[in-house]
Amino acid sequence: MDYQQLLLALLPDLLVVVALFAALGVDYSRMRGSRLAKRYEVACRISAAGLIAGLAVVVLQIAGTMPVMESNADGQLVLNTGTLTLKALLYAMGLGVLPLAKRDQITPQVSEYFALLLLATLGMGFVVTSRNLLGAFVALELVSLSLYAMTVLNQAKRASAEAALKYLTFGAMSSGFLLFGLSYLYGATGQLDLTQMTGLQHSPLLVLAYLLIFVGLGFKLALAPFHLWAPDVYQNAPTPVAGWIGSGSKIAAAALLLALLQPVFNAPKLKEALIPALAALAVLSMVVGNLGALRQTNLKRLLAYSAIANAGYLLVGVVAFSAVGNTSVIFYILVYSLASLGAFGVVAVLTDTLGRDAEISDFNGCWKSTPGLAVAFLIFVLSLAGIPPLAGFLGKFYLFFAAIEAAPNAATWHDGFYWLVAFALIMSVVSLYYYLRVLKAFLVAPADDRAAIAPIKIGGAAGVSLCVLALAVVALGLWPEPLLGLLRN
Amino acid sequence: MTALLTIILSFTGALVCGLMPPSAHRRIRWVALAIAAAGLVVSMVCCDNYSGGEFADLLEADWIPSLGIGFITGYDGISLPLLLVTGLVAVCGVLFTWNLETRANQFYAFYFALIGGVYGVFLSLDLFLLFVFYEIAVVPKYFLIAIWGGTRRQFAAMKLVLYSFGGSALVLLGMLAVFFLAHDASGEALKTFNLLALQQGQVPVAAQQWIFPLIFVGFAIMAGMWPFHTWAPTGHVAAPTAASMLLAGVVMKLGAYGCLRVAVGLLPAGAQAWAPWVAVVAVINIIYGALVALKQDDFKYVIGYSSVSHMGFVLLGIATLSLTGMTGAVLQMFSHGVIGALLFALVGTVIYSRTKTRMLDEFHRLIDRMPGIAWVFIVAGLASMGLPGFSGFVSELYVLIGAWGSLSGWIVGGAGLGILLTFGYTLVKIHEAFFRERKTPDTGQVETAYPPMTLPEKTGVALLLGSALLIGLCPWLLTDKISPSLKLMLERFPN
Repeated sequence: MDYQQLLLALLPDLLVVVALFAALGVDYSRMRGSRLAKRYEVACRISAAGLIAGLAVVVLQIAGTMPVMESNADGQLVLNTGTLTLKALLYAMGLGVLPLAKRDQITPQVSEYFALLLLATLGMGFVVTSRNLLGAFVALELVSLSLYAMTVLNQAKRASAEAALKYLTFGAMSSGFLLFGLSYLYGATGQLDLTQMTGLQHSPLLVLAYLLIFVGLGFKLALAPFHLWAPDVYQNAPTPVAGWIGSGSKIAAAALLLALLQPVFNAPKLKEALIPALAALAVLSMVVGNLGALRQTNLKRLLAYSAIANAGYLLVGVVAFSAVGNTSVIFYILVYSLASLGAFGVVAVLTDTLGRDAEISDFNGCWKSTPGLAVAFLIFVLSLAGIPPLAGFLGKFYLFFAAIEAAPNAATWHDGFYWLVAFALIMSVVSLYYYLRVLKAFLVAPADDRAAIAPIKIGGAAGVSLCVLALAVVALGLWPEPLLGLLRN
Repeated sequence: MTALLTIILSFTGALVCGLMPPSAHRRIRWVALAIAAAGLVVSMVCCDNYSGGEFADLLEADWIPSLGIGFITGYDGISLPLLLVTGLVAVCGVLFTWNLETRANQFYAFYFALIGGVYGVFLSLDLFLLFVFYEIAVVPKYFLIAIWGGTRRQFAAMKLVLYSFGGSALVLLGMLAVFFLAHDASGEALKTFNLLALQQGQVPVAAQQWIFPLIFVGFAIMAGMWPFHTWAPTGHVAAPTAASMLLAGVVMKLGAYGCLRVAVGLLPAGAQAWAPWVAVVAVINIIYGALVALKQDDFKYVIGYSSVSHMGFVLLGIATLSLTGMTGAVLQMFSHGVIGALLFALVGTVIYSRTKTRMLDEFHRLIDRMPGIAWVFIVAGLASMGLPGFSGFVSELYVLIGAWGSLSGWIVGGAGLGILLTFGYTLVKIHEAFFRERKTPDTGQVETAYPPMTLPEKTGVALLLGSALLIGLCPWLLTDKISPSLKLMLERFPN
């Protein structure tokens, strides 16, 4: 093995690790007696520097100016344009979370907070670039463990501990299922390398393996009926962490799901057996998510239910089992994550000001007090709802496009996926009701005279972060072709 | 490129108005008027230069080539009258909202976003692009109604938006089916959203049978088709005047335009199979709308249901699938756009701002107290009724002649009955509004005369009534543009 090449290929990750230790070290030594705000500032800067450096190297790798090895032994690392693009976007989004975490000074354990954030980001980067059963699983566990720990960081809040415990128990169980499934997959094929698994035959063992994998990843993606942890965790975790759970870890899990399903593409009988399971998960998630969201008054809880629904839409692209379908799923989860992270960012900004959980009604009159925030939120929510010309619309459209493309010549209504797309479309109409209810608070409701209505201070870095996210959502809706081109590889 | 200016102008206008400070409402209204007027001028220039039946002013660019999506715009004789009516109503909407002060900057931001979307739909020659603009036009409506609306505005706004998106969902599904199933003469799949290419190709006849109702109903929901019309009266009534003018004048036409351009234009065999059903529903629209209008006590609801009734003629014209009938349908879209907007303006702003009520029972001999306004309304009402000399007469005549030629006698008889009912409710409501004594107990207020119309109001009335009269007297100004384009569409029909 060429270690120099390996070093170059892993340079981004190394840079992040260095930043991680630097943040820990500086915080424990020099910043020991400093004010909390100062410590947050320094840790945030160091982490940001690491992510920026890592991001820069990944971008160079994508551009081809830095050599990367295509694939090493057993598919531990598969660095091509598609996977590297995902990694770059994950780093960029992690960078977006940092300023939000800095605002939200919930814990005195400053460096741990940022170190865990970096660790989670690092893990996500590995999940999306690994095509090895073990490698990907370990990376996914790295993500999950960091997220469990971050959920409980706010020790002042009892509910936070409860949510973290719930997250941990559910998460550990799901990891068990996933690992069980992966071991069956390995047992049936004798391969750890997903790229080498060819010519799968339809066998009960493989079907069982994939069903177990669906259960495991279903937890991570918050698919119904494995969604029970999501509302509590989203509501009670520190808001930036909830945002990162709802975006970054979703991207990683979705990418892993696609990678695991890749060998099934050329096994028609196995595919036939798996499609009903996936379709059932999709339908159930859309129903549970959308109907559950209708009655929420807490904004973070509402976003959790919307996440469940969106995971359901995602599977509409997965069932297509095609290259187009894969691109559409990745594109969708990316634009969903951008909008969801943005929405959580807006909530984080207010939660901070209020000092308690933000209810939807707390945003009444936001158009008057902080019009910029209202506009940003309008963009995020309309994108989540799938309104053109925002990216969320194109993402959904692409999913449906892929699903129909799989079998356009339907003889009866249940041939192909016309019925599934129709169902998803009906559910999107339902979802509009609660999205508009939230927007009503932001843009329609008159300002009442509670304290919250004083202009909300956003702060420079968080403001930039929200602006960039909003711009990205608009830009990807208007001009998606470059990103689609990168992801298609 | 000329026509594209309307879209660019509107969206820029939305941005400019949105960024102006809310306190500058006087300045904002002039800016808004200028932008709307510029859009109207551009539409008129387009109309003036157009002849023949082909698409003009074509602009083709790639947008998302990997999904077969292009940025293609252009117009033909079918879209031109609608561009004109959009421009007219946009200008008059500003004129009749002249005194708006609350959140004026945001109002015009949403207003122009809506108008930009509408222009976009009429100019798009790519199915995906058309759909995008169609949806862009929906969201501003919610805010226009929910923020600046009147009675039950939250409910009405939500209902309208959910109905709109329900319709769009049907359209989207049908659109995807068309994309994947359409093929050219040699049987090779087209895989494009380009309307021009799709028009040349064809969708398998069996598939057309189920795609047509999806797309047609999806669009027709926005056109106020019975039984999915209920968003229209509640939405119109709750909306602020400028928005209800746009809703009645333009947005309902979006739906009808989609039915004509996409459903009928791309799926002729489906249209032929379903036309009798469409005709039946259209006649129900006409009669039902008129009957319900007759029973309303709220003046704005009367106009709301009369819109539903008039849109029935558009649907009936489309259902004839004949040159005369469809020309009538397009002409009726123009005519109702102008007259419907005028009626909403009169009831919602001109009369309401003076009487502070819209309940007919509380009106007390308004003919004595606002004679000028009353006469204007009477003339507008007669125009809406289809009095010869106004555009409504010509368009309904075209539709009826078309229906006579291609549909059963029962349908024509039903439509005729509808016209009689229209006469009935118009005259009854004019009587109740202007000539009748108050039916509610006398409050003892002194019945003074109301102030006359202001200059912006007069200008708006003159513009709208003038265009209805102009087209009523010289219908060939529009029919000469509409018919050749429809003829080209009908030539693609299988025999």
